[in-house]
Amino acid sequence: MASATDTAELPVVAAAATLPTDDPHPETDGHRWGMVIDGDKCTGCQACVVACQSENNLALNEENRVIERRAKTWIRIERYWEGEWPNAKARFLPVLCQHCGNAPCETVCPVWATYHNPDGLNVQVYNRCIGTRFCANACPYSVRYFNFWEPEWPSPMDRQLNPDVTVRTKGIVEKCTFCIHRINRTKRQADRDGRPVADGEVEPACVQACPTTALVFGDLNDSESKVSELSHSKRAYSLLDALGTAPAITYLKKVDPSHVDEHEEHGH
Amino acid sequence: MLDSFRALLPRLSPKQLIVISGLGAVLGGGAIAPVILLIVLGAMGGTITGPPEQPIAFDHSVHVGKAGIACEFCHRGIPVVGDTQTAMSAPVSAAATIPSVEQCMFCHAVVATNSPEVQKIRAAWETGTPIDWVRVHRLPDHVDFVHDPHIRALAEIHPSFTTAQICATCHGDVASMTEVEQVRALNMGDCQGCHRENSAPLDCAVCHK
Repeated sequence: MASATDTAELPVVAAAATLPTDDPHPETDGHRWGMVIDGDKCTGCQACVVACQSENNLALNEENRVIERRAKTWIRIERYWEGEWPNAKARFLPVLCQHCGNAPCETVCPVWATYHNPDGLNVQVYNRCIGTRFCANACPYSVRYFNFWEPEWPSPMDRQLNPDVTVRTKGIVEKCTFCIHRINRTKRQADRDGRPVADGEVEPACVQACPTTALVFGDLNDSESKVSELSHSKRAYSLLDALGTAPAITYLKKVDPSHVDEHEEHGH
Repeated sequence: MLDSFRALLPRLSPKQLIVISGLGAVLGGGAIAPVILLIVLGAMGGTITGPPEQPIAFDHSVHVGKAGIACEFCHRGIPVVGDTQTAMSAPVSAAATIPSVEQCMFCHAVVATNSPEVQKIRAAWETGTPIDWVRVHRLPDHVDFVHDPHIRALAEIHPSFTTAQICATCHGDVASMTEVEQVRALNMGDCQGCHRENSAPLDCAVCHK
C-alpha cells in the first residue's frame, strides 16, 4: 500500500493528456481539409471515378476483380433506387475516404502506417504498411483497398502514370489521399509566392472533373471558405453519423421536387 | 508435468543429440550470418556506390571549379537564390534537371572543340541523339522531393551562402569532383536529421507520396 509520500513523488499526469484520436478536431493554426458533396447535383456520371483512377495510378479493374470484390476504386458512386417502377428514382452517393476526425482505421494499425496529419488528413504511409488489413476491416465506409496483385497496365497505359503519385506494390492497403500531392504542390507554390493558400485553389482530381460541381473541396478551418459555408447548410449530413467518426466530408441531401411543397425549408 | 511434456519428445541417444545439436549450430549460424550482414550493410547506410561511369567524361571540377559556372546555369530546374522569377529559372521543377545537349553546345560550339569528349557532344548534337547520362542521385519512387523549398530554406538559414554552397549541403563539393558521386546517404534518417535540426516539418505526408 502506497503511503502519502510515495504518491507525492509520482509525476503529475496532466488531466488533458489524451490520445491523439480523442479530439476529432484538434486546434491547429493550419488547414483542415474537407469536402462537401451535394446529392442534389450529382448525376452519377462517374467522371470523378475515372479522374481518380488516372490521377492516382490505380490499375484497371477487370471484370473478375469486380466479381471477386477486389476491385480498387478510391471513389465510387453508390446507386440506390427509391420507390417502385415506374416511379423509381435513382439516388447517387459518391463514397470516398471520409478522412474521419475519429478514424477507426488509425487506432487499429499495429505499425502506425495510418495516422492523422496536422492538416486533418487521414494519411496512409505505404512503406510502413505491412498489410494486416485491420484498417480495411475497421473502416465502416469500406473505402480502404488491399493490393492483392502487383498493379499492371496494358501498353501504352503504363506510360501515362502520374509521377507525383507512387505506384503501390502488392500486399499493402491504399485509399483516397484527398490528392495530397496536389495539396502539397499548392502549399509549396503559395509558400514560394509568400501568400496563404486561396479558397478553391486546391482541387483533388475528382473535384476538378465533376461537371456539375457537386464536389467542393476546401479548408474547414477557414470560416469563409465555400466548404465551411456549405457544410452548415440545412441539408447537411454525414455518412453513418451515429458512429461518431467525425468525417471531413459533408453530404447535402437531395432536394426532391415532389416533396418541396410539403417541406417549406429545403435549404436551397 | 515435466514428465508428461518429456513424453512428447523423441527419445534420443547421446550420440544422436550431439549430431542434432551440431547440425543445429551449423544451420543456425547459416541463418544468423545474413542477418549480421544486413545489420552491417544497414549501418553503412544509403546506396553510395562510388561514381558511375558516364558516357562522356564530363568534369565538374573544370566547369564549376575552374570556369566558375553557377549550378543553376546548367541545372535549370533549380531556382536562383534571391531571384525567384528570372528567365533562367522560370519553370521551377521538382528536379534540378540534366542540361540538354543544346545547352552544352551554347559554349562548346566554340570552346575546346578539339577535345575528343567535346566531339562526342558535337556528334550527339549533329545526329540529334540525347546523351545517356547515368543518374547519380536518385531517391526512391515513394519520396516526393522538391528542390525549391530546400534551397529557399537553406538560403534563409545561411544568408551568406551562394547557390553552390547551398547545393553542396547535400551534393558535396562538386566543384572539386572530376567524377560526380553521391556523398551523403540521402536515406530517411539523413533527411530527418536535417529536418529535426532546422525544425522543418516531420509529418510523413510532407515527403512520402
